[in-house]
Amino acid sequence: MSDEFGEAALKNILVFYEGKRSELIPILQEAQGINGWLPREVMQLIADFLHINEGEVHSVASFYNQFRLMPLGRKMVTVCRGTACHIRGAPQILVDIGQSLRLKEGETSPDLEYTLESVACIGCCALAPVVKVNHKIHGEMTRERAVTLFPKLSE
Amino acid sequence: MSKVTLTIDGLDVEAEKETTILRAALDNDIYIPHLCYHPELSPSGICRLCMVNADGEVVMSCQTPVDQGMVVKTKDPEIDRLRRTSIEILVANHHASCRGCPGSGPCALQKIMAYIRIDRKRVRRLRLPEEDLPKDQSNPYFDYDPNHCVLCNICVQTCEKIQGALHVIGRGIRTQIAFYGNNADCQSCMECVARCPVGALTAKESRSTHG
Ligand code: SF4
Ligand code: SF4
Ligand code: FES
Ligand code: FES
Repeated sequence: MSDEFGEAALKNILVFYEGKRSELIPILQEAQGINGWLPREVMQLIADFLHINEGEVHSVASFYNQFRLMPLGRKMVTVCRGTACHIRGAPQILVDIGQSLRLKEGETSPDLEYTLESVACIGCCALAPVVKVNHKIHGEMTRERAVTLFPKLSE
Repeated sequence: MSKVTLTIDGLDVEAEKETTILRAALDNDIYIPHLCYHPELSPSGICRLCMVNADGEVVMSCQTPVDQGMVVKTKDPEIDRLRRTSIEILVANHHASCRGCPGSGPCALQKIMAYIRIDRKRVRRLRLPEEDLPKDQSNPYFDYDPNHCVLCNICVQTCEKIQGALHVIGRGIRTQIAFYGNNADCQSCMECVARCPVGALTAKESRSTHG
């Protein structure tokens, strides 16, 4: 069997747990580290390990923002819509970027190149409005610059 | 079994000692709005609509036991103000009209709206942009319509004891009920459908299961 979802890696994580229901969240956190998201196969294995059903794992995982149930794009585009960025035009920038990437907030492109997200304050309001691409911060964003960000970045 | 006497809206009512205020009221034909209460389930206190004034304090009647000499008011200005907000938010997010809704008739939400006299204008100010969420038709026996669901959790709690095939997923305005791959576990007992207080769970081929 191929190990597309990191079953072996998951087993290495699970040996440190007893199989108690209360361990679900820490297990999910570690398991997410394997692929950067939680494939269904991984959640099924966790459910088996804890003797709960898959739906319960999904229920918990879908509640928390930190858990991802879909693969991420190679480039995480995060548009800040915190207060400072909002006032300085973030909503329009989010719309523009969404249009040029053909993505809605929270979506990942089919080729797994981009994921578009928004966040409430990145923590550098002086640079508002801010767009983050992976770990790089692009401050004082304008509508014009926002759309030029991507061809350049997808080199 | 020991009995206690309390007054609800000025009426003397006799009830078993362990009964909740809501149960005692309903048994005596006094209506208190409620959505998440079901006689067969332990009270979850989710909907916050069953609030009453008991001896001067606002409590959830589905979770509060009766007491000897207790004085309960099911209507007063404070209750109305608190409860109205809860129900308005619910109605604002109920992206469905009753016309053609399979739950119409015995629907608990319809009854509550009539009881509280919902002011459409006030509700409109809370309304989110109209959105038609896709139905979940993956279960072979019944469909789930998130647009009608009031998230009372009755179906989830019901199935927990039977199969555990239903779950709450997501959070906030994105919360829904889902089967998530557990359709094979479903026993097709249709208890969830029968207990849904609105028209969110319906038997396939729109056979009516309310009764
Ligand atoms: S029909 Fe019965 S087994 Fe199936 S989801 Fe509903 S309550 Fe659970
Ligand atoms: S489907 Fe019906 S019973 Fe289940 S949570 Fe929604 S309204 Fe309640
Ligand atoms: S509001 Fe955008 S960085 Fe603080
Ligand atoms: S019926 Fe009491 S909180 Fe819902």
